[in-house]
Amino acid sequence: MAATHAIELVWPDGGTETIRVRDDETVVDAATEADVAVPYGCLYGVCGTCTAALLDGDVSHRKPPRALKPRSLDAGYVLPCIATPDSDCRLRVGHEIQAEVLGTPWK
Amino acid sequence: MSTDEHTHSTEDHDHEHHEVEGPGYPTPAAMRTESGREKTAYVMAPRVGMEDAGADFVGIVDLDPTSDSYSELIDTVEMPNRGDELHHFGWNACSSSCHAEGLSRQYLVVPGQRSSRIHIIDAEDPRNPEMVKVIEPEEVFEHDLSAPHTVHCVPGGKVVISMLGDAEGELPGGFLQLDQDDFSIDGHWEADRGDMEMNYDYWYQPRHDVVISSEWAAPNTYYPGFDLEDVEDGEYGDSIHIWSWDDREHLQTLEFGEQGRIPLEVRMSHNPEETQGYVGAALSSNIIRFYEDNGSWDWDVVIDEEPREHEDWDMPVPPLITDILLSLDDQYLFFSNWLHGDVRMYDVSDAANPRLVDQVWAGGLFGDRQQVQGEEIRGAPQMLQLSRDGRRLYWTTSLFSSWDNQFFPDIADEGSLMLKADVYPDEGRMELDEEFLVDFGDAPGGPARAHEIRWPGGDCTSDVWQ
Repeated sequence: MAATHAIELVWPDGGTETIRVRDDETVVDAATEADVAVPYGCLYGVCGTCTAALLDGDVSHRKPPRALKPRSLDAGYVLPCIATPDSDCRLRVGHEIQAEVLGTPWK
Repeated sequence: MSTDEHTHSTEDHDHEHHEVEGPGYPTPAAMRTESGREKTAYVMAPRVGMEDAGADFVGIVDLDPTSDSYSELIDTVEMPNRGDELHHFGWNACSSSCHAEGLSRQYLVVPGQRSSRIHIIDAEDPRNPEMVKVIEPEEVFEHDLSAPHTVHCVPGGKVVISMLGDAEGELPGGFLQLDQDDFSIDGHWEADRGDMEMNYDYWYQPRHDVVISSEWAAPNTYYPGFDLEDVEDGEYGDSIHIWSWDDREHLQTLEFGEQGRIPLEVRMSHNPEETQGYVGAALSSNIIRFYEDNGSWDWDVVIDEEPREHEDWDMPVPPLITDILLSLDDQYLFFSNWLHGDVRMYDVSDAANPRLVDQVWAGGLFGDRQQVQGEEIRGAPQMLQLSRDGRRLYWTTSLFSSWDNQFFPDIADEGSLMLKADVYPDEGRMELDEEFLVDFGDAPGGPARAHEIRWPGGDCTSDVWQ
């Protein structure tokens, strides 16, 4: 039996929403099933649209997280479209996190 | 000939049919002079990376100035999934198949740049297009390709799509060929890709046995956003590739280096006699002319733009040429400077010596105009489309969701715009039409970005002549 974990999604306005995610499903799949609209694009860890910041807990990427550079992974960014939970987690989510990771060139 | 529209009013647009003799026009001049004014636009409207990220849609915009809903988004075709990022699209048939009996310009091929899902939309009734087929990403990945971009129909009953990555979103890319009859996947178009790794846009001239393709980067490099470190690491393109159209083989690489970083849109002359064209190098902000010379291809920088200081930015900001377009008579070249905020018009009647004749500022970092009809211009001139008669230039203001979010983050909350300038080719000038504004922020179901624009009946970036 797959274990389930409580994933608290923290939105930019400070609002939160907690979803149950099995350890064999991705955060994006579970959110979609729960009718919670989190950002996503490619669904295979390449595009970074879903990029989130892991505030607490642990997740595993079930494919190589190609959209994130080593420094971004070190800074705690994860890809919910390929991330499965290893424990209860808190994740900061929202469409602007993708841009926050790289900042604005020349600025 | 297949024209933009039925002769319709808004009340009776759903029952008449084109008088179709073929899917296009025998010559570029025929298309320019005999096709009539565009009355409808299809606009790619992605919602990826928006604050309220619903599904992307194809927007249908009323361009008929006699209509009550002129300059409005009148309908949408919603995608069945979220996250596609609709970007560029094309037709099942164009003037390259003008003499092919039984073929008509009827189906739009609409890829998802991020999802690698490919949608087929039946646009037989221009005002009532319908989704008829969806090719799921897994079917595309089976051919070790991803990130579909430019769609051209090609003679011989096929559709060829440039693909920027492999099934893992890394390099190399390639070309995916579909069958025009049932839109099944044939496989790779190319027989030998030589040293080509990166892909982006392409153009072809069958009369001269040539295909020219350009370079963006690997999907996992450009998808997440623009990082100057990736440029320093050589992860972005600086070359274009010459292929044999007949043999489907890579023949030559033109490497631009510093002068041609991130060469994007490729536009060859519409005149099928010509063996030359232009590519816009986005990051270097140069227009490069390529041409055949004694059986091989060569290039020159013909327009060289400079970065500019801005008080709020640490470093001089390049103009970022993101789209270029040639009028059907090959007399004028238009291009957009997405960061600076202007559209430029060059006289290219002397092809190697373009002459700046006019520019329109609207939005961007330096536009002296930041509003139209009281609406803030979010973003800056980006994807261009010109009327077939060369008298109306339209553009949208979004580039790519992740890059928008870095440079013009307001688009993610409020959507982007479609604008228009009136062009006076006889006088060599253009003027923003302040009466025209389509605000994709007001789209049904929530704000959207707006990207590539096409007319039913073909346009300046869709058709090729044999």
